[in-house]
Amino acid sequence: MEPAQTAAVAVLAARDISKRFGNVVALQNIDFEVYPGEIVALIGDNGAGKSTLIKILSGTLSPDTGTLLMRGKPVSFASPRAAREAGIETVYQDLALAPDLDVPGNLFLGRELRRTGLLGMLDVMDARGMRARAQAHLESLGVKIKSVDQRVDTLSGGQRQSVAVSRSVFWGRDVVIMDEPTAALSVAQSALVLGLIKRVRDSGTPVVLISHNLPHVFEAADRMIVLRHGSRVGTLYPASATMEQAVSLMTGALGAVTESREVEDG
Amino acid sequence: MTGAPADTRAPGRPRLSWDVALRLGLLGIVIVLAIVFTIAAPGFLSSQNLENNERQMAVIGILAIGETFVIITAGIDLSVGSMLGFCGILMALALSHGIAIPVALVAVLAIAALLGFFNGVLIDTAALPPFIVTLGMLGILRGFTQIFGNGQQIGFGNSAFTDFAADNFLGVPKLFWVLVVIALGAAFVLHLTRRGRHVFAIGSNLEGARRAGINVRAMTFLVYAISGLLAGIAGLLLTARQAQGDPNAGTGYELDAIAAAVLGGASLFGARGSILGTFLGVLLVQILTNGLNLLNFDPQVARIVEGALLIAFVYIDHWRKRRLATA
Repeated sequence: MEPAQTAAVAVLAARDISKRFGNVVALQNIDFEVYPGEIVALIGDNGAGKSTLIKILSGTLSPDTGTLLMRGKPVSFASPRAAREAGIETVYQDLALAPDLDVPGNLFLGRELRRTGLLGMLDVMDARGMRARAQAHLESLGVKIKSVDQRVDTLSGGQRQSVAVSRSVFWGRDVVIMDEPTAALSVAQSALVLGLIKRVRDSGTPVVLISHNLPHVFEAADRMIVLRHGSRVGTLYPASATMEQAVSLMTGALGAVTESREVEDG
Repeated sequence: MTGAPADTRAPGRPRLSWDVALRLGLLGIVIVLAIVFTIAAPGFLSSQNLENNERQMAVIGILAIGETFVIITAGIDLSVGSMLGFCGILMALALSHGIAIPVALVAVLAIAALLGFFNGVLIDTAALPPFIVTLGMLGILRGFTQIFGNGQQIGFGNSAFTDFAADNFLGVPKLFWVLVVIALGAAFVLHLTRRGRHVFAIGSNLEGARRAGINVRAMTFLVYAISGLLAGIAGLLLTARQAQGDPNAGTGYELDAIAAAVLGGASLFGARGSILGTFLGVLLVQILTNGLNLLNFDPQVARIVEGALLIAFVYIDHWRKRRLATA
């Protein structure tokens, strides 16, 4: 599909980002952008700089040089919390859920709703309100679990990941970053989560997807940004590119010049 | 596109029924023990014996409530027994020097909360294991207690203080009312408030809680300060009851506090436990100790049973956790 997003303003963009750790150049003059209504995947071999870029986008690291833009306006995040408050949610690889809490407990973890009035002043939670909103939210995303009253550790891996993704969408007003959301999931469970990610996009929240699993990326992503040795070496579209092309770019067998299509104009 | 709303009351919520079963099972054991002792030990239901039990239960119960907060964060506080003794001696010394009760009370409890807070600082900020920090504190506080008390009981002629421990309110010892009020307050905080929820979240997934924006550091300080404060209160109550400061008071009480919490469903792996469960656990420990005592068993038998029960319950909890992990 021919991208119509060249005209659109990126929801989140990085311009000319560099990051070094001592003598190691983790990222070199990287540009990145995610547009409204798309799933953009970051792909690259181990050490390509995916994690570093994600950490910069989510406020965990700050870049040495370069700027972050949200809807064209420069922003900087001093902490993950600052990024979250700006509307960027991250789903971490190792499931940052509290397994002993139920689904609403996890959806609202750290941001529990308070009752109104005196009870609210006494820090009392609005358990009923959280439950109702959690249930409505999961239904709207088509996440099927027997009961939201279940503790998360009684759910399947795919269901758990779905809860984690749902949580990020619930709070991520602008962008949701997903770090290896299908790692350690069975085929069926992965399909469940990939379907959910697409529904997240369709519901209007753009997604940044990081995955080692190329078939998953090709299935879910609208666009792929390829990193190699800390540089961006190309942009591919699953609709027109092949996995061989992606692998060639990732490993350097194919030069950065032979991208399938280049639409970026800086 | 979703048609009928999903069935939210689907059957088969195994974890919930496990918790309920555990609570009911515990209640069952308590009732059975009470019946057995009522039949076998004539004095068991006498009002004097009941009152004694209630007073003793108040002291252990308040310790165990503090311990429950700590255990739910997947921590442990071994210093509660020593804290109890330390605060008892401080109070006895203060009163024997003629310091007014309210002043002494506030000062001693402030010290208790501060020492608990310091446990929290060492655990969170210095990243030391709770087991080691509070074991060290156990030794330190007991040592100071013996030095301050000069190894001896300290009397103080303050009848207003000791009367409180002897008096009843509505036919129930005032000490027991203190336990009831603290238990209700603790249950409110732990089960209904956001901060209470954060205590569970920390015990369930420390890093996840941190990433979710929960102030793990402040909560750790708070939880250990609560445990210290409650141990201090227990120390004051025991001192009032014994009408003297005893440098050996509270020795070994950490076993009672931990056992009561664990028998009541608190998991040493964290994120599990309740004030009601702990209350039942204290009841079980108290009835067991008292009943065996009335039946003329060596007092140490109760400790043997208590220790064995603690190990058995932790084993069951471990088994449950492993089964869940492989499920």
